[in-house]
Amino acid sequence: MSKLSSALVQSFAVAATELGFCSAAWLFAEQVAADGGDAQVRALRDTLGRTYPVLDAVCASWLDGERQPVVETAAVLHALLGARTLVVVGFESRFLDALLPQLGDREVHLLSSGHVDDLTWGRMLANFDPAVRSIDLVSFQRLAGSQTALLCMVYGATEHAVHVPPAWLRLFGDDVRAQFRSFVGWDVLRRSMYVYPRWLVEVPRHDFARIV
Amino acid sequence: MSVAQASLASLLVLTLIAQAAIPSLRVVIVITGAALSCLLVTLLGLGTTHQLMAELPWDVLILLVGLGLLSEIFAASRLFGLLAVRIARLSQAQPRRLLIYFSVGMYLVSGLVNNLTALLLVLPILHILLKLMGFPQRYVSWLLGVLLVACNLGGAATPIGDFPAILLLGSGRMTFVDYLRYAAPPTILSLLGLLALVIGFVRPQRSVERDALTSRLSVAIMGRMYRGVRLDRRRFIPAALLLMAMLLFWTLLPPQSGISADLVCWLGVAVALLINLRYGEDLLRTRVDIEAVLFLLSLFVMVAAVRHSGLFAALSQLLVRLPMSPQGQLAVFLIAAGLLTGLFSAGPSMAGLLEVAHALARHLPPHVVYVGLALSVCAGSSLFLTAATSGPMAQALTERAKLCDSHGRPLHFGFMEFLPVGLLSFAVIQSVALAYGWWFSR
Repeated sequence: MSKLSSALVQSFAVAATELGFCSAAWLFAEQVAADGGDAQVRALRDTLGRTYPVLDAVCASWLDGERQPVVETAAVLHALLGARTLVVVGFESRFLDALLPQLGDREVHLLSSGHVDDLTWGRMLANFDPAVRSIDLVSFQRLAGSQTALLCMVYGATEHAVHVPPAWLRLFGDDVRAQFRSFVGWDVLRRSMYVYPRWLVEVPRHDFARIV
Repeated sequence: MSVAQASLASLLVLTLIAQAAIPSLRVVIVITGAALSCLLVTLLGLGTTHQLMAELPWDVLILLVGLGLLSEIFAASRLFGLLAVRIARLSQAQPRRLLIYFSVGMYLVSGLVNNLTALLLVLPILHILLKLMGFPQRYVSWLLGVLLVACNLGGAATPIGDFPAILLLGSGRMTFVDYLRYAAPPTILSLLGLLALVIGFVRPQRSVERDALTSRLSVAIMGRMYRGVRLDRRRFIPAALLLMAMLLFWTLLPPQSGISADLVCWLGVAVALLINLRYGEDLLRTRVDIEAVLFLLSLFVMVAAVRHSGLFAALSQLLVRLPMSPQGQLAVFLIAAGLLTGLFSAGPSMAGLLEVAHALARHLPPHVVYVGLALSVCAGSSLFLTAATSGPMAQALTERAKLCDSHGRPLHFGFMEFLPVGLLSFAVIQSVALAYGWWFSR
C-alpha cells in the first residue's frame, strides 16, 4: 500500500468545506490517481474513507471504473420546470457549476447554513457572481410561494431514505412543506455509502417530491 | 526640565505605556490623555485647546482616510485575493518559493495601499494554503513573520504606504519624488537581506516534509476554490486610473502651485467614490477607519502639547550638543528611534521624533535624517508583534483560522513565535538605516 501524507486529512476537510464533499472527493480521487494510479486511490480510501464516507464512496466508484461524477443537469432542470426561484440547500461546486448556467433568468439563492465564516462564504459565492445570492435560515421563508422550488444535495438514496446536509433538518418541516412549489433532491453520489455517513443526516425519501 | 515640560512629557509617556499595556482600551486611553493634555496646557498658561487643534497635521489625516478608502475599493474589486491565488499557483506550494513570492508580493502591495487592508485580504488565502499543506510550526512562524516585516518595509518604501511616510509627506519636509527616490532602494535592500538570511541561514523550509502530491493537490484545490472569481473591472479600472493620476500629480506638481499632496488625494478619492455612487456612500459611512483617526488625532494633540512646553526643542538642543560628529548624533537618534518604536509603536514614535529630526536636518542632508528615521521606525515596528497595528491583527486572524500541522497539532502565531523574526528583522533594517545615514552624510 502506498504511503499518503497525514496532511491530506486536514487538506480534505478544507476542500470539502469550500467545494462540497462530493466535488472535493472527485478532485482528490483524480489527483491521487494521477500520482499513483488505482493503488494510490485505494490507499486514499484506506486512509480517509472512514472519516469521510462520501470520499470512501467516490473512491469505490473510481475503483469500479468511473472516472468522473455523473452530473445529470437535464433531469434536474426537468424537475424544476415552472419554478421561477430556486433555493439550494447544500454546496457542491462541480454540480452547481454545471447547473447554474442552464437556469436562465431564474433567481437562485444558496442557503448559508453557518458552517463557514462570512469571508469564506463570500469567497464561495464570488465564483457564481452575480448569478447567485445568499440567504439564511432566518429569512428563506420570504421566498416562499408557488413559483419557488427547493433543491437539496443528496448523498445516496435507498428505497426509503436519503442522506442530506444537516441544514436540511433545520429548514424542512410540515409548515415549510406547504409554502413552496416543490422539493427536489439531487443525488450527487449515486451509490450507497459503505461506512457510517458522518457529517450527513438520514431523512425519509418522501421529504422530497422527486429525487433525480 | 521645567514643571510644564515634566508634567506634559510624563502624561504622554504614561498614556503611551498604558495604551501599549492594554491595547483593547487604547483609543479610550489616548483620547483621555489628549483631553488631559489640553487641560494641562490651559492651566499652565502655555496655550489654548484651539491653538493646539490649529497645529494638528490635518493633511496627514486626510491622506490616511483617503488612501484607506481607495484601498477599500481595490479590495472590493477582489484584486488582492486574485493576486494571492496567483502567487500561490506560481509558487506551486513549494515552501521556499512561497516565502519569497508572498513576501515580495506583500512588499509591493503595501507600498500602494494600507497594510491592514492588504493583510486582511491576503492572509485568509495564505491560511487556506497553510491548512492544505499542514506546514510545521517553525515554518509558519517564519513565513507569517517575514510577511509582516515585508508589509512594514513596503509601507516605508513609498510616501503613501504607511503612516510614518505619510506624515513625512504631509509635513512638506520631503517631496513625493525625493522620498520615493531615497527610501525605496534601502527598503528593497532590507527585504533582500532579510530573505537571504532567512532562506540561507535560518532555513525554516528545511522543517517541511517534502510531498509532491500534497503540493499538487493544494494548488489544484486553490484553483477550484477560485475557479469563477473574476476581477471586478467596474471597480478596479476607475480606481487604478485615479491612483495613477494621483501619483502623476504628486510627482509632477511643483510645491509652489499650492496644490498639496492631501488636496490631490482628497480630490482623487472623492472622484473614485462618486464613480461608485451608492457603494462610495456606503464606504464613507461604514468603512472609514475611525479608530485609527481618533488614535492619531489624540496623539497629535499630546505631541503638540509637549511641543508647546518646549521639551522637543530642548531635546533637539541636547542631541546636537552631544560631543560627537553629526553622523554620531544621527546614529544615536536612529537607534533610539528604533527602540522607542518597538516599545510604543510607529504612530507615537514618528509623531514625537519628527520634531527632534528637524533639528538634526539643519546639520545634515534632510533626506538622510528623514529617510533614516523612517527606516528606523520601520525596524522598530518589526521588532515585536505588538509594535505595528498589523501584528495583532495577523495574530487574531491566524488564531481564528485554527491552523494545524500535518499531524493535527494546533499552530500558533503570537508574541513568542514572532520574536526571532522580529529580532532578526530589527537587526537587518536598523543596520541598513545606520549604513544609509553614514553613507549619505559622509
